[in-house]
Amino acid sequence: MAQAKTALADAIAHVEGRFGTHVLSHGAIAERRAGERRIQTGSSLDTLTPGLASGAPLALVGSGSTGKVTLAHRAAAGAQRDGGSVLWIDPSATFDPLSAERSGVDLSRLIVVRARTRDDVLLAAAAALRSDGFRLAVVDTGPQVAPSTVTRIDDLAPLLPIVRSSPAALLVISDTRAMRLAIPTFSVARVAWSERFGRTTGWTSLVAERALFLFASLGAESHDLGTRGALLERTG
Amino acid sequence: MKAYLAIAVPERAPRARILAALCAMLPRVGVADDGSFVCDLRGTERLLGTPLRVARNAISACGASSGQLLAGGLGTTPFVARIAATRTAVGKVNEIPAGGERAFLDVLPLDVLPLDPKVIEELALLGVRRIGEFLALPRGSVTDRFGHAAAIAYALATGELVEDVRGVAPRRRIRAKRTWDDPVDSRERLIFALRAAADELAEALRHDGLAALRLRLVLEREELLPLRLERSLLPPSAQSAAIVRSLRWGLEELATLGLVTSAVLEITAVEPARGRQIGLFAPDGAHAEEAISVAQFLRTRLGASTVLQARVVDADPRLPERAAEWEEVVR
Repeated sequence: MAQAKTALADAIAHVEGRFGTHVLSHGAIAERRAGERRIQTGSSLDTLTPGLASGAPLALVGSGSTGKVTLAHRAAAGAQRDGGSVLWIDPSATFDPLSAERSGVDLSRLIVVRARTRDDVLLAAAAALRSDGFRLAVVDTGPQVAPSTVTRIDDLAPLLPIVRSSPAALLVISDTRAMRLAIPTFSVARVAWSERFGRTTGWTSLVAERALFLFASLGAESHDLGTRGALLERTG
Repeated sequence: MKAYLAIAVPERAPRARILAALCAMLPRVGVADDGSFVCDLRGTERLLGTPLRVARNAISACGASSGQLLAGGLGTTPFVARIAATRTAVGKVNEIPAGGERAFLDVLPLDVLPLDPKVIEELALLGVRRIGEFLALPRGSVTDRFGHAAAIAYALATGELVEDVRGVAPRRRIRAKRTWDDPVDSRERLIFALRAAADELAEALRHDGLAALRLRLVLEREELLPLRLERSLLPPSAQSAAIVRSLRWGLEELATLGLVTSAVLEITAVEPARGRQIGLFAPDGAHAEEAISVAQFLRTRLGASTVLQARVVDADPRLPERAAEWEEVVR
């Protein structure tokens, strides 16, 4: 019996060594896990394919002030909903705790790492993804305004094999699309400005060309307007 | 019938072997404050024979395993048994029969009791030099004059206080070995291969109710010297994932791994497993302790002021930078 157990353990180690640590699970819990793997944000983001799920990377890409970070806050709040923790890697030191809290993030279960170099970013993200302590690791590459930017989305290539075998999801926020890296991407593009009494009060962004979000310029709040298809159905 | 066997152990005796021999023979073996082993013999009579017979067998089993003759004491309390063991020749068992405890203790000097030397001196000035004289004093006066410690010594001598024999388990080697026909040359392959060994160790730890505090990995390598890696697990854990993570971080610090042909993973220090508080129905990634452990690691690698947690202190600040305060997750 003990020999059979050891042989089974060896076989599992071999399979996991080849395909990743979480590829095998007991049949009874595999189905439950499939539901647990998805991170529910409670918005139209959940209806987009691929969504945010454990063991999967996702990039939110768009120019500045389109609402990427606010959407990432929603994702972080969703990851925390079941008691999970979030690691936010912030090389540009632009994380705003107030807007995160307004988006529903529990700051007591969010650790911010101000990694200064590309290697530090990779180290922090890899440590989070390899541990069982986090449901979501966010890498905010920051505004790409200068050629000396610390991290670009393409620099995160070493994380992809790690996230595949991780119980956590990886969310990357970037101004620019990946050039050499094949990573599922939601583009975030501003489609309209909201005005009131002649003053700009916010804007509407289209995520992955399907989901619409209204962002208030003051207060860092976002309102889910639903998917474009649903809106068209409602308006006839 | 209450019966305790105490075995006095000389300083240089192989204690682990003696403990293992006693544990193999008797159901409850503990270690007293003075370092002697105390065995609770209650309930063993029908199976193993009279206490005296059990004691003689135990002495001879300990002698065989340690190669040293030991002295034993039998009494109705652990305290009496311990004192009896120290007052007999090696290889013998000093039995104090029930009802004969006072006669045995009364003539002994006060220093066998757990009393402060100053109290013993003070008692000597009062003409109290033997346990019998000490026990002749009124109990209330002893407590009032000499305090709580003296009252405890008094109760021990009278048999009113019976020391608890807390069972201890002999140290067990918790180790796992893996050998590979094809040498392992990559770090990732080695870590995945070590997962099975870590699972084995975690199972052994859980079985014994222990958590690993330190672990050692020894890698045999082709054409290179064996590589020895010592890791501390903080917080101590019985989880396979924690063991693997610690090994991973240790291995990542190595510049070259070489061709690994075998690995021996051993838990070198343990402590009793403590429960940990987790949320009900917590999914994967809800382990706060793991998160703090990662934060500790990153703090070590990245330096101060890099691993932070924010707290909103003013939800409507006049200046944006005054909205939140930042503090280190791990100091």
